[in-house]
Amino acid sequence: MDLQKIIPYRKMSLKELLIPENKFMAFVAVALTALFLIGVGIYLVHGHHAYGVTRQHPWGLLIAVYIFFVVSSTGLCIVGSFGDVFGFKDYMSVSKRAIFGSIVTILAGFAVIAFEIGHPVRMMIYNVLSPGLTSAIWWMGTLYGIYLTFMIIEFIFLVRNDMKRAKVAGLIGLLVGLAAHSNLGGVFGFLNARVVANGVFYPTYFILTAFITGIYLIFLMYGYKYRGQDFPSDIAKALTNFMKIQGLLLAILMFFETWKMLTGVYGGMPERADVIMHILHTKSFWLGEVLCGMVIPFVLILATKGSAIKKMVWASFIGMIGIFYMRYDLVHDAQLFPMQTLKIREYQLPPSFVEYFPSSTEIMIGIGGVGICLILYYLGTKLFDLDTMPEHH
Amino acid sequence: MARYGMALDYKNCINCKACEVACKEENGILLGADKHRIWVGVKEIEGEFPLLSIASNTFMPSQCQQCDNAPCQEVCPTHATYYDENGVVRVDPDKCILCSYCMNACPYDARYVDDRTVTVDKCNFCSDTRLARGETTTACQATCPTKVRIFGDLDDPESELSQVLREREHFTLKTHLGTEPKLFYLI
Repeated sequence: MDLQKIIPYRKMSLKELLIPENKFMAFVAVALTALFLIGVGIYLVHGHHAYGVTRQHPWGLLIAVYIFFVVSSTGLCIVGSFGDVFGFKDYMSVSKRAIFGSIVTILAGFAVIAFEIGHPVRMMIYNVLSPGLTSAIWWMGTLYGIYLTFMIIEFIFLVRNDMKRAKVAGLIGLLVGLAAHSNLGGVFGFLNARVVANGVFYPTYFILTAFITGIYLIFLMYGYKYRGQDFPSDIAKALTNFMKIQGLLLAILMFFETWKMLTGVYGGMPERADVIMHILHTKSFWLGEVLCGMVIPFVLILATKGSAIKKMVWASFIGMIGIFYMRYDLVHDAQLFPMQTLKIREYQLPPSFVEYFPSSTEIMIGIGGVGICLILYYLGTKLFDLDTMPEHH
Repeated sequence: MARYGMALDYKNCINCKACEVACKEENGILLGADKHRIWVGVKEIEGEFPLLSIASNTFMPSQCQQCDNAPCQEVCPTHATYYDENGVVRVDPDKCILCSYCMNACPYDARYVDDRTVTVDKCNFCSDTRLARGETTTACQATCPTKVRIFGDLDDPESELSQVLREREHFTLKTHLGTEPKLFYLI
């Protein structure tokens, strides 16, 4: 079978493939991937003991990083769908790169979660043999598997310039991706015992922040590609539009967050108000989530009326740092309140918030995921034409 | 076929922790502060001498509440957590993928990672040890010097458990969550 017939790619020698034009980025990607491999090595020897997770805080950094990547993937899928699924011509030029980005980010997410789930192979077997249909994790995992399949199919059709089939696969992938992603929010929303996470907020918030993340990433991808030069007019047009959409989305996000915090604190309800007050006293919320994730990009968008697309690349980088804090905080915040049942003193201190800090192994695997993402993205830019789109379809 | 439950006459508890030791011994639970299926919660005396609140100083033995509507079972992606024929919430270590979702979903902090199987473990009323051998008591119950624990079949109206629940007031923990616990604290 000729692979070239299935998915047209640029033929090149291995040497050509492996010699990058940007040595600095190549070093970063390889160094991060090396960290990932070292972290995985330590994990394979010591298991979860190498992590900072505990009985009271069973989910740690790697869950947050997984969410970070799948949010990125869903976001890029939404951003990419504007052009090839919904047929808006202004956005057509960024579709292929966005869809490819959605594939590499979810693959990086899967790479990370494989070393957080204690038995990933068993998971694949029993997910099929004895599916737990009431479990949001089952739906999330299964739907993301289907989503990845359709994203790959969509990308193949895009590379083959078969826009009609790409549209069908893209639409299915988008719908499945949205379902999967809201189920990931449901993983937290379904936790009846965790008052601060329980409810409708996370499933909807996840979709909103996915869209925001997708726009940040599309700015980063094109900002990197056209570093030191002007954007071509079609890309500039798409990015200008996305920058304006981002302004609206960030405004909605700030509105959501404000009301989440207000309703959380109101009335001083135990387990909810005290946790929210605790969150409101953390730097990671104010500096990470609010300042980096929302305010800095939002102020730039407002101040320049959504036209400074070059500056927005940097604001998007800061925004992605904020997005990471959003993921980390939501995992940590959900577990802040101890579920102790009358264990007032015996095995832990009197009721206080559960503490957690990631271990060095978790940090290595977590940021190493970024390295995997960068390497896969690099290979994609080398092997595939991610820019040329047909004029009409 | 039974529907096992337990009543705890918790005011009789003297915090000797024989139940914890018996549980570890019977079920081979590993040592370590985090590795426990059951525990005795200690509430310290409130107030300052000489105005100490003796009433505030209580010992509360606890464990998995064996919920009839268990959140841990509901969230399990592979049905590793299941209700056995006696209504006991159990974990099948062959199916557990260690996603830890159940540990997060349990409102009672009753689950932990068992390093023997590298899966999530919890109290199962000694189902694979004592009950499997045909005995009718749990290790924690059999060893308790002040008879805090009464284990039995809730479906059998003649069982000691059913009788005591008919005769004495009792409460369950975090009842408002709708988990329908089968551990009853006698007042």
